[in-house]
Amino acid sequence: MLTSQGDAVYTWDEEKAAAGDPGAIEAIREAERIIREAQSRGGVAFRVKPGQPAERIDHFDEKAEEIIVIPRLVGG
Amino acid sequence: MSEILVHASEIASNLFPLLVMGLVFWLVFRNPVCRIPKRADAERRAEVLLRQMLTEEEYQQLSSQGYLKVPSPTVSNRVYLIPRYRGLVRVHESGKPVMRLCIGPVEPVPDADVVLMHKLMIEGNEEDYLRTANIF
Repeated sequence: MLTSQGDAVYTWDEEKAAAGDPGAIEAIREAERIIREAQSRGGVAFRVKPGQPAERIDHFDEKAEEIIVIPRLVGG
Repeated sequence: MSEILVHASEIASNLFPLLVMGLVFWLVFRNPVCRIPKRADAERRAEVLLRQMLTEEEYQQLSSQGYLKVPSPTVSNRVYLIPRYRGLVRVHESGKPVMRLCIGPVEPVPDADVVLMHKLMIEGNEEDYLRTANIF
């Protein structure tokens, strides 16, 4: 998540969550909440892989390798 | 006992000006002292992330030429030229400049993050990107 303090990093483990690990499930819920909040403020989320074009996503994808959330952009 | 008290009060009276000076110094300089490392840290992390998200060729281009070329995903002959540092994004079609875009984040972020934002928006959300930008 790109912020004025630099990027804030949140991690989750989809495999552990699928296995029922409460901590991993909570981490995914937290990541979902963070992205939803950012989107409600006009932020945009992208699924990214180095060397490949970014793909906008409207909902959190727990299977994504990496998601970058950027703040709202405005015309200058 | 009284000698000890006298001695202690001498030490305290000698230390008092130093404590006052220390307090004044802290009050005056606490913000810059705290902010400069934080900002530098943010810039450094943004640079690491940008480098991670670009190919070696793209990063070299950005460093040497001062801009990053991002091809339009929808218009085959269109290329966006994102400046290394803040400024207008130039748009070329078939090698010729056709427009300049003024668009940026609502909150201040490190320059390297701004480059990454432009790239992500162009690749993944070009229509909204163009709709939001002021076009010259």
